[in-house]
Amino acid sequence: MADELELLRSADPVPPGGPHFGDGPLDHNAERRLEQLLRDPGNGLPGRPRDRRGPLSDRRDPEGRLPGHVRDLLLPGPRRLRLAWGLVATAVVAALTLTLVLSGPSTPPAVAAPRPLVVETGSTPVPLHRLAELASAVAGTDDAPRLRKGTHVQSWSLGMSDDKPPITLPEERIVRWRADDSHTELVVATDPRHPGRPVLSDEGDEPHLVDDGHVLLDRTYPPSWSDAPPKSPPPRDPARLRAYLMEAQYTDTPLTTPELLDAMATLLDNWTLGARENAALTRLLAGAEGLRPVGRVTDRLGRRGQAYVNDDDGRGVRRMLIMDPATGAVLGLESTVTAPEPAFGVKEGDVMSYSAWMR
Amino acid sequence: MSNDEIFAAAYREHYWAVSRYVARRLDGRADDVEEVVAEVFTVAWRRRADLPAAALPWLYGVARNCLANAVRGHGRRRRLVDRLGNDDTAHGRHIAAGPEADTPGGWVHEALARLSAADQEVLRLTAWEQLGVDEVAVALGCGSRAASMRLHRARRRLRAEIDRMRPEPPIAEHSCMTAPKEHGHG
Repeated sequence: MADELELLRSADPVPPGGPHFGDGPLDHNAERRLEQLLRDPGNGLPGRPRDRRGPLSDRRDPEGRLPGHVRDLLLPGPRRLRLAWGLVATAVVAALTLTLVLSGPSTPPAVAAPRPLVVETGSTPVPLHRLAELASAVAGTDDAPRLRKGTHVQSWSLGMSDDKPPITLPEERIVRWRADDSHTELVVATDPRHPGRPVLSDEGDEPHLVDDGHVLLDRTYPPSWSDAPPKSPPPRDPARLRAYLMEAQYTDTPLTTPELLDAMATLLDNWTLGARENAALTRLLAGAEGLRPVGRVTDRLGRRGQAYVNDDDGRGVRRMLIMDPATGAVLGLESTVTAPEPAFGVKEGDVMSYSAWMR
Repeated sequence: MSNDEIFAAAYREHYWAVSRYVARRLDGRADDVEEVVAEVFTVAWRRRADLPAAALPWLYGVARNCLANAVRGHGRRRRLVDRLGNDDTAHGRHIAAGPEADTPGGWVHEALARLSAADQEVLRLTAWEQLGVDEVAVALGCGSRAASMRLHRARRRLRAEIDRMRPEPPIAEHSCMTAPKEHGHG
């Protein structure tokens, strides 16, 4: 049987000997650009406008380098890409129905950057192992939720600029898979905290206000299959789920707690967990070091949850995991900047990303 | 040779290889390719003091970031994302199988498109740019060991996808096809 690389090589869409971009002397435009570069040592060609360039995690200088803390957070390579896009894409908030209410041109826009969740003073922190026990008990019930491929998530992602204040882009995404392995994806701009108000979107050339519920993407994909995490079904056993999440993060080494939380987000961006998978995940989270219970919060969808915080001091990020105290299921994950990035106008306490998952 | 002269020599030697790299990831749309390649060499010019003796893998690394930045740019983001398949929210899987799927390589592309963006890139660098593991590491900005591991896994996943969707005609037909070797890896 042919080697897979040989097969791929034979499918090179732009072979060196092909009709386009074949080796040879430079053409007129390429020569002109080289002359321009050599003539203007300071810069050369005009670059792209340095406008807002996406969420914090995406920010790189033209050489591809990320800002300090974010760069550290996102290394190494493949994971960096994965997380970066995860942060761009994730998101959601509930209440599509609410978005239909109260809309009108005179309604003030929902552009204010969200504040970090606040732990209710005096609330009693609940250890994660208690929630793990609860999740296991839920998994044993007859009417326990079942695993479903696809996701429903509301996210807020921070976007930065060199010369403008940061902005936050709220989106809701629903991915549903069908029996024939095709799937649909719907992404809308909405901020459930401000139903009916216009919201910021990065669709098009510049960030601009769109109506609440504005459809950013509505697409049906043909059937596809994969046996690789995170597209393959997650295991129900904690040890196997740990290996699954490592593979989803492209690493052979045990996941650190920040990595585990990032892998969890990747998982939940692809799957709506059933009770048994959820019990395995919660068991893993309960065993993670440096994930401490801090008390009760109300998440951005108005759901009551128990919060667990991990401080990734080296990378300047605090992650807050929000769990459902009734089922032990993950409700959300908030990443907050703990070390400022003045070059991008990002302050300590700014919410870098926030994902709230729903069924 | 001065840095400027070294840069000019690398530009002349690798301009078309970098163009192919970009074109392979932009479906060969000439207008966009030229624009992105111009940006690649502009960035390389600013960093010409860092240009290694083996320039091409390094230039691919710059190109990779320029493509990613192009994708992230607000102006063309959606359009390019669709082509690059880097974003799960707008993944290239929406491309329906058409008549081209029956052409040699069409289904291989489809198998490739089912992998993660990271898997795709390490495979493309190896198969299409024909880089060795050490060169892949330079292009990806990682260590050789990590590059080797990624390639190993990506190959396994590609093999699985190919096995799953391989059409009936004998594979030997494809294995006999040879592609001209990319040259000038530095």
